[in-house]
Amino acid sequence: MKMTAEEQTSEGQHTIPMEGEDITPKKDGGVLKLVKREGTGTEFPMTGDKVFVHYVGTFVDGTQFDSSRGGGDKFSFELGKGQVILAWDIGVATMKAGELCQFICRPEYAYGSAGSPPKIPPNATLIFEVELFDFRGEDITENEDGGIIHRIITKGQGYSKPNEGASVEVTVVGTCEGRVFDERELKFEIGDGESLGLPPGVEKAIMAMEQGEEALFTMKPKYGFGIEGNVKYNIPGGAILQYKINLAAFEKAKESWEMNTDEKLEQSSLVKEKGTQYFKEGKYKQASVQYKRIVSWLEHESGLSEENEKKAKALRLAAHLNLAMCFLKLQEPGLALENCDKALQLDAANEKALFRRGEAQFGMKEFDKARDDFQRVIQLYPANKAAKSQVLLCQKHIKEQHEKDKRIYANMFQRFAERDSKKEAVKVAGDSKQNGDGDEMEVESREKESASEEKA
Amino acid sequence: MALDMLSDVVQRCQALPVDSYTKEDHDVFMTAGRTCIEEGNSVQVLSIILDEKNQDMVSCMGWNLLPALIQVLLKKEDNLPQCLGIFNHLLETCRPKELLIGLLELLEQDDPDTIAESLHLLLNPLQKVLLRLGSRKASSLGMALSTVLDQLAKLPLPHTKEQEEDDVFSLCRCCTDLTTFVRPFVQEVRLNLLTSEELSESTTKMTIGRDNDREDELRTELLKFCMKTLSYPLFEVQLKDTDSLAVSPLRNFATEILNTLSAIRESITSLVYQPLLKRKQVPGFLEEEVRYPQESLASVAHLVFVHHLAADVFPCVFSPVFSLRCNMEHVCPLLSRREETRIQKGLELYEKSLVRVEDGSLPVDLMEIKTFLTLPQNLVKVMTMCQRQDLRSKGLKVFQLSIDKFDTEAKHKFFQYMLKTSHHSGVEGYIIKNIRNQINVALQSGDGNTWFQGVHLLPLLRKVLILPDGPETDLLENLDRLMESLNLLRYLIIRDKVTENQTGIWTELYKIEDTFMKPLRVGLNMSRAHYERELHNTMDTKRSKDKEESKISVLVGGENLPHVTSESQIQVCHCLMLKSCSCHIYLHLYGINDGQTLMCLLRLYTQLYTRLT
Repeated sequence: MKMTAEEQTSEGQHTIPMEGEDITPKKDGGVLKLVKREGTGTEFPMTGDKVFVHYVGTFVDGTQFDSSRGGGDKFSFELGKGQVILAWDIGVATMKAGELCQFICRPEYAYGSAGSPPKIPPNATLIFEVELFDFRGEDITENEDGGIIHRIITKGQGYSKPNEGASVEVTVVGTCEGRVFDERELKFEIGDGESLGLPPGVEKAIMAMEQGEEALFTMKPKYGFGIEGNVKYNIPGGAILQYKINLAAFEKAKESWEMNTDEKLEQSSLVKEKGTQYFKEGKYKQASVQYKRIVSWLEHESGLSEENEKKAKALRLAAHLNLAMCFLKLQEPGLALENCDKALQLDAANEKALFRRGEAQFGMKEFDKARDDFQRVIQLYPANKAAKSQVLLCQKHIKEQHEKDKRIYANMFQRFAERDSKKEAVKVAGDSKQNGDGDEMEVESREKESASEEKA
Repeated sequence: MALDMLSDVVQRCQALPVDSYTKEDHDVFMTAGRTCIEEGNSVQVLSIILDEKNQDMVSCMGWNLLPALIQVLLKKEDNLPQCLGIFNHLLETCRPKELLIGLLELLEQDDPDTIAESLHLLLNPLQKVLLRLGSRKASSLGMALSTVLDQLAKLPLPHTKEQEEDDVFSLCRCCTDLTTFVRPFVQEVRLNLLTSEELSESTTKMTIGRDNDREDELRTELLKFCMKTLSYPLFEVQLKDTDSLAVSPLRNFATEILNTLSAIRESITSLVYQPLLKRKQVPGFLEEEVRYPQESLASVAHLVFVHHLAADVFPCVFSPVFSLRCNMEHVCPLLSRREETRIQKGLELYEKSLVRVEDGSLPVDLMEIKTFLTLPQNLVKVMTMCQRQDLRSKGLKVFQLSIDKFDTEAKHKFFQYMLKTSHHSGVEGYIIKNIRNQINVALQSGDGNTWFQGVHLLPLLRKVLILPDGPETDLLENLDRLMESLNLLRYLIIRDKVTENQTGIWTELYKIEDTFMKPLRVGLNMSRAHYERELHNTMDTKRSKDKEESKISVLVGGENLPHVTSESQIQVCHCLMLKSCSCHIYLHLYGINDGQTLMCLLRLYTQLYTRLT
């Protein structure tokens, strides 16, 4: 190995001897490692771990081109994910905490023939002295609250990960305080995990994995079985869980561009049924995910034959109507309203769309608008009894609101009068003082207003 | 007169305790004082201001004289030294809050000449006043910086090297002044960060108290300032490299801003790689919705990768593919913008990131990343629709560069994707040309590149050798695509021998006949008939309206060509017929097995083609 490295840079003046152990998987001498100080830790960092290092980079002639030791923070990166040059991903994985070593990296394992302007010229052999301080698993929670720590045992392939609704094939092994409580091979769709007795953290975990990956997850109770625990598995409340998961395979929903019109229509029908199934089970969130897929596939599809156009329109209408229903159930009247409007664009006199928009408006306390929608339903579909009772309900609310307004305004006029007389009294005070006073008054009256609203 | 009034009010006020001056005293002091300065009696005013007995009064009312003083200072009138003396004394004695408001009001100008002059004159005093505010200055500094940047935005930007050198509108000088202005505050934050770090190292984290929060505010204001300048003016100007402009004030300004970020511990590295590393959006400030605006981050990446600024703090260990992925996140939104400066910066950053990657090295997995699909879409829009020709051709150059970086499998997938999504005949033609090149490489090297021969190639060929709408396809609109398709077919038939059939073309031909050749022949006959009729009609019209030399419009591919004389209209029709013919000749090629006729037809085709183009 020593020979090849020297041959390669035969013209350069070496101040650093080209020596060390070849650590490349191919054994081509591309990365030579020389330990300068043994580490104190016992384990090696795992793929995906966040590692903290200090380093000094030099050329073979000893000229320094980069260093993290200039008083700044330690350099950190995620190991084995291609964030750094190949030599580093290979090299740092062989280090233990506290270790200090030197890597001699041939260009194929560094910046190759392109170099890295402005500092690294083409075809440069680089020498790094690296000290590994610490490493830890990646925290995959959105809030980065340390709730789910991800450590990769075997790296998977590719860049895509299962998304909401993707079907996955996994092996899960759940452990609590050294006891295996759950060990299964499962095939399911992301979103269904709960019905299979998996805690929410497991689905989050799977969605952070690549195809073929095997990984270990440590979950806090928040993402596990919570403070209640789990009777079936005999898990006490507030327990920390460990899951070893192997993602054997998964199928992601196809991107819109990968499907032709027939596929989109076919898939839409399937997905619609799936959504309805979820809806019947009361899983409104999951149902809405399915219906949204229909919209995303068909919304911008153009140049359809007449027959297909009809099919697409019917599917879109159904999707929007069902989405509206889901959002009403999920207490999201704003989103429900949006979908009713879309449905009405497709079919201006749709009974369900009008009725649901009325309900959405009602939910947003827009009683006037709600009443108008319900009245329109009655006008078009006189048999709709539910709409009639909704109109009455709206009118009751409108009346109440009217009376509340009256009270507030009456109150307000009285307050204005009081304030004016007070102003007269303190007129002697300076400009700024008076201003401040005014501000206070406004805040006060605003508080009153909201208080009376609460009472009503 | 005014001088008398001033002396009177000063004498009256000397007897009064501080803060008990009436509104009338204020008014008289202000008007009389201003008039004195305007009339050139600044010597007397200076002596009144400096008088020991008057200091309370000056500290209370003196700031009222600022407008008059600044006017003199800006115009550089005769009594400049005295006015400067008054000004400097006021800066030291008056209350900083009032001075600050007074100075900021004076900054707000509208005329470009005055804007630059007032910035130059007032930044230094403003800095002194802010420093006098001690630890309460964060929000005031924020206000000042925001005013200054608003002013700066009113100045025209230098575009050429000469404009930057001459600095006609003084933008460069203002930027330099601004750097000097923020320096002490940056220094303060830097030192505070150092001490708080030492504190937290020596004691527990419990001690982080109020003092720390306040320093955070100052740091926050500087961060906001940097983010703003990165997007304007820095992302708007075209920085010159050292080769073309050895000393560039704007480049120095950019360097200073990056240095400032480092000094206040905003790591340049995390700013550049933020799109890939941050899972969660960092909460914004009260008045700004986002802490790190997308465009400011793109600006940092552009300065680092295109202009090589901050090279000394930017680590040399990141992999080129990682940098590319990240920069693509910056580039993608830029290419969908309308402003040409943004498109240009996007193209530059994309090009520089691609150049670092080895040819043929990007694996197909990357196509799973959404940006690898959306960016080319945006790039196609630039290539086909951008107003500026240089950007369109640069777009095409970068597009080809991006193709070159994919390995063969990724190229294969990319071509399929582009054929399906670009909806532009020219782009499709370009992709088909690329496919032909790849087949050529595959056939030549014979290195087991399976993606551009045999089984894998056929699905791609099927996408190329079809007429999208059958015989009714608009041939003219699809001309670029059609010509390249026919070119590819010709290449395959000539290059691949029937006995070897490496590409699989020979076993596919009967299908191509149905999906491509037959409908194309029908379509060509239809369009030729159409043009013949068109030609005939035009001739007729020409004969009848020959004298008038009227201007007739021609509909070509659904596009109206305005003001075409009948003469050129006839030419257009001839030309179109000729094109139809050349397509026809192409069509004959494939059914022919004896080499002689083939070569003959080829020659004919080439002649026709050169006459057309």
